[in-house]
Amino acid sequence: MRRRNLIAAIFLLAIGIGYTVLTAHLPTRDIGSTTQPSFFPWVIAVLFLVLSAALLIQGLRPATSDAVPKAPDVAPNKYLWGGIAFVVYLAALPTLGFVAANIPFFLALMYLYGERRPLWLLGGSIGISTALFFLFREIFQIRLPSGILSGVIA
Amino acid sequence: MNPDILDGFAQASMMSSLIATGIGSLLGLVVGMIPGMTISTGIIIVLPLTFVLEPTISIALLLGLYVSGMTGGSFSAILLNIPGTPSASATGLDGHPLAQRGEAGRALGLAITASFIGGMVSFAGLFLIAPLLAEIALRFQSPDLFSLVFFGLTIICSFAAKSVIKGLLSAVIGLMIVTIGQDPMMGSQRFTFGQVNLIAGIHFLTALIGLFAIPQLVDNFVELISDKETRHKATRIERVLPRWADLKRIRLPVSIGAPVGAFLGILPGAGGPIAAFISYDYTKRVSRNRDEFGKGAVEGIAAPESANNAVTGGALVPMMTLGIPGDPVTAILIGALLIHGLAPGPLLFVENGGFAFGVIFSFMYANFFNIVIGFLGLRLLVKVLATPNALLMPTIALLCVIGSYALRNNFFDVYVMFGFGLLGLAMRWLDMPVVPLLLALVLGRPLEEHLRVSLASSQGDPTIFFTSPFSVVFLGMAALSIFWSFYAEHRSRRVSDGATRQ
Repeated sequence: MRRRNLIAAIFLLAIGIGYTVLTAHLPTRDIGSTTQPSFFPWVIAVLFLVLSAALLIQGLRPATSDAVPKAPDVAPNKYLWGGIAFVVYLAALPTLGFVAANIPFFLALMYLYGERRPLWLLGGSIGISTALFFLFREIFQIRLPSGILSGVIA
Repeated sequence: MNPDILDGFAQASMMSSLIATGIGSLLGLVVGMIPGMTISTGIIIVLPLTFVLEPTISIALLLGLYVSGMTGGSFSAILLNIPGTPSASATGLDGHPLAQRGEAGRALGLAITASFIGGMVSFAGLFLIAPLLAEIALRFQSPDLFSLVFFGLTIICSFAAKSVIKGLLSAVIGLMIVTIGQDPMMGSQRFTFGQVNLIAGIHFLTALIGLFAIPQLVDNFVELISDKETRHKATRIERVLPRWADLKRIRLPVSIGAPVGAFLGILPGAGGPIAAFISYDYTKRVSRNRDEFGKGAVEGIAAPESANNAVTGGALVPMMTLGIPGDPVTAILIGALLIHGLAPGPLLFVENGGFAFGVIFSFMYANFFNIVIGFLGLRLLVKVLATPNALLMPTIALLCVIGSYALRNNFFDVYVMFGFGLLGLAMRWLDMPVVPLLLALVLGRPLEEHLRVSLASSQGDPTIFFTSPFSVVFLGMAALSIFWSFYAEHRSRRVSDGATRQ
């Protein structure tokens, strides 16, 4: 059995069934000879289910030389902290704004990528985050919300 | 002479376009050189910056990045034996041994020269073939266009994946995502769940940033060049201008690599790495110095380098004339054109002929900038290799977030980008390729439109797809590519099973 194929197939079949149910509930229109809005999703749903079933069959067959790529040698908690940093950052971004949220996020990522020198951590996070904010705002005319610092950053 | 050609030349020769091409080339050399950064990621990061630019300038910048990114990839392959891009893998086979002998500058100079020749040969191909192909493609009707898009999608699925089923599944996931939002024919809402932000659908670039950049951030938790001494040693270069004797030696390899690359570039899915290895292998067979291959043969650098740069011009042919991307980068370029309200395809040459030729001439200028910046700035550029991931990766993360937000000034797109990042990681874990999904995001909408328009015109009769010779040929080629991929997968499995048993 190819374990990953099996997991993928089960997961994809579940998605396929969900997509099919949603497609069945799409609105229909009385439009003569033209196809319904649900026509293309139906084609996709059928294709997806057939291919997922084929993957399931492949996954159930005995594994021979199913080489799984070797994962890089990284401490698992690095991924976890990276994920947490991203989620916290995204949650805080609308309130804090781009400068106030970017600096601690940048600092956290620098730390995760191995930087330990305090001066570099502070200088890099404040310098690059602020420079990017003003680069986009002043040069590329893209208004990035400044959130809690909107009184400070005109 | 065709007035569009003159107009295109004038557009590409404007000072603003030239500056953009130059900046793009500089960025491309840097991005290509950094191991772990792909040209696609580089373009995705730069793309939001181009929203405010004129389409001609914007495309000039991106083309500069695309062309020079290919060359930049060879720098780290030669200096560190770590290819900056997959296309540069073959270059390292002889480039690195030459650098180890203390001739890094010679190897880099030859790589830059061969890249330029390859790029110019593919420019000639692009200039001559693209307008002709566009003229033929103008005769295509909806059923032909559906079959063509379908063929483009299937051939790339077949090439991109180790498992054909997984490649096709990845493409179908992309098609599912395309169905979110308004139906292209009637405007009915599909799969929006009452969410206003989904009515216009998932923005192609939001998905792209997440799918490509987030997994790259995760990959780079591991420093590819951990040894600081190696980093600094690699940045010391001596003479780079090639000697006359070397130029004579690379005549044969570039005359093999350039046409092979340009031809393979035209075929959707083949791409730079395949062209580079085929050229390397063929040159090795016919070269008088075949014993030197693998030990620092200059022919072994010139053949793959000319081939992978020639691929760039080739890949622009189907992109511009048919709207079919030849590789992930051209898929992103299609997205960039769509953002500016320009749809690549045969009509581009009719409705915006000046712009279309402007793209072709910007490609030519990109090759000139590539060689000039490559030679003049090489010693400075390789210092980038000493940049630690701790500065580079957080900067990329911020650019991804800002880029996603800037698309529609909307935090929702930032969350969608992150969601696609997770999808990219999940697909990687399940050993599913991302490229077919990306191409489905580009081709999904035209696929649905042409399918439904064709069926509407035939009152629902599917035999309409077999009434035109173009359509029949495209469907036949699609079937052949799928069949061939299944056969090749089955054969390679049997070979590896046999090897396991032994």
